Amino acid sequence: MARGSSQSQSSTSASGSRPGVVAPRGSAAAAAGMRRRRLVGGSSSASGPGSVGSGSGSNMLRFYTDDAPGLKISPTVVLVMSLCFIGFVTALHVFGKLYRAKTGAGP
Amino acid sequence: MGGGFRVLHLVRPFLSFLPEVQSADRKVPFREKVIYTVISLFIFLVCSQLPLYGIHSTTGADPFYWMRVILASNRGTVMELGITPIVTSGLVMQLLAGSKIIEVDNSVREDRALLNGAQKLLGILIAVGEAVAYVLSGMYGSVSQLGVGNAILIIIQLCFAGIIVICLDELLQKGYGLGSGISLFIATNICENIIWKAFSPTTINSGRGAEFEGAVIAMFHLLITRSDKVRALREAFYRQNLPNVTNLLATVLIFLIVIYFQGFRVVLPVRSKNARGQQGSYPIKLFYTSNMPIILQSALVSNLYFISQLLYRKYSGNFFVNLLGKWKESEYSGGQFIPVGGLAYYVTAPASLADMAANPFHALFYLVFMLSACALFSKTWIEVSGSSARDVAKQLKEQQMVMPGHRDSNLQKELNRYIPTAAAFGGMCIGALTVLADFMGAIGSGTGILLAVTIIYQYFETFEKERASELGFFGL
Repeated sequence: MARGSSQSQSSTSASGSRPGVVAPRGSAAAAAGMRRRRLVGGSSSASGPGSVGSGSGSNMLRFYTDDAPGLKISPTVVLVMSLCFIGFVTALHVFGKLYRAKTGAGP
Repeated sequence: MGGGFRVLHLVRPFLSFLPEVQSADRKVPFREKVIYTVISLFIFLVCSQLPLYGIHSTTGADPFYWMRVILASNRGTVMELGITPIVTSGLVMQLLAGSKIIEVDNSVREDRALLNGAQKLLGILIAVGEAVAYVLSGMYGSVSQLGVGNAILIIIQLCFAGIIVICLDELLQKGYGLGSGISLFIATNICENIIWKAFSPTTINSGRGAEFEGAVIAMFHLLITRSDKVRALREAFYRQNLPNVTNLLATVLIFLIVIYFQGFRVVLPVRSKNARGQQGSYPIKLFYTSNMPIILQSALVSNLYFISQLLYRKYSGNFFVNLLGKWKESEYSGGQFIPVGGLAYYVTAPASLADMAANPFHALFYLVFMLSACALFSKTWIEVSGSSARDVAKQLKEQQMVMPGHRDSNLQKELNRYIPTAAAFGGMCIGALTVLADFMGAIGSGTGILLAVTIIYQYFETFEKERASELGFFGL
């Protein structure tokens, strides 16, 4: 289970599943459940975030996990950028149609 | 560092230009993750329906037909390249790093950053290269037909789409979304395909009057319009040229089988050394490498197809080229080339059971090829990706975990009993299921289905884990 799903193990869940963190004492059953979860999570992400090629089966599909210097953009910007791109292509289609209609109707 | 010249350092000057999504500096709540995932998915879906501006035609043979399934690309749309750039660059980098051609020290922060940068840069370069190659090779009509301005516009659109896919994938992986963008897009593409084949309302005129393309819709249409209900049903179940109900049922069956097999695992008990009484388990799944073997296998086969087709078109008389593959235009899917001879033919699934009976050697060869390729790739993959017994033993040791009843040094040996077997056997099972799906004619090819199911299953697990961790936090 840990293997296959580790692909989706993100950096945020690593904070919850850091190995070596001793669970605070709660009811015995709940604590055991937490520990198990922790272990499973930990074992799959233990190779450390961003170590490319480490980890499991489908981890190849997870490339960019580490922070690198570069043009920092926030996630909202990515989404807005994509929407703008879609809008741009649509606009191209519309203008293309208009332009063609104009030249077709003209001379 | 070792000194001297290192290939990775070539990337450094470009590093500051590469777009980079900020890491989440807080824990993104589950709800927000779902929203980010859905929006990304929406963008992807729109992009894979939006036609490219300026293309002239997309008819004629499609040399990438066989790769489309695993690369989530749609012909003639903005998503023409799909995830090809990322997957290709990722594969190349993995192989280069795994085979130590470029040296990467994973413990050095800068190296990791450089490797990521290199991957991204390579992805963008591949996107640019492929876009130029597509336009110049005349896939959308020759350049003189298009006009230079439109040709440049097409290239820009394709490149930008590639960059957007890279950014979306990064966004999802950096903890804003669920899972990885790539698997999400592949699964969506395949599911869309299956749904479309089942319920497509378009009619196709195939000589016997208009027929619906979607299997389910066609069944009802035939049942209502035909007077002979038995023959109508038979037609709906067995029509050859369009998706039929049998295909749909086969798809569902494969789906269920794969999910059933996902649960097979060997659970090794482990115990923490420093916290007494902390028990845990380390499960080794039957599908240890998940869908990796088929991704690699289909990447191999589709590259073979691509090269063979190109060669066959240029030098069809050559003996060696014919040995590699002979191609013929298919009658059904307009202008699509299908292999009819040579190696390419033998690694292709037989089209039907009748075809299999007529040519048992083909079927046998295909079966043997699939099983051995999947098992082999699976075994190689655990080495390359660092999930072999040695790596797992190291990980467990780092976490101070031991197996009760075994000494420390024995851990690797004990894991070695299970992991390679699980990898090889699991790979073989995956291969066998793919073959089964192909023989039964499941919609969207065996490879596609297997990919989709394994990805969806992973998503379910992620959901569970996210929910559990959220509850856990509140529970504390």
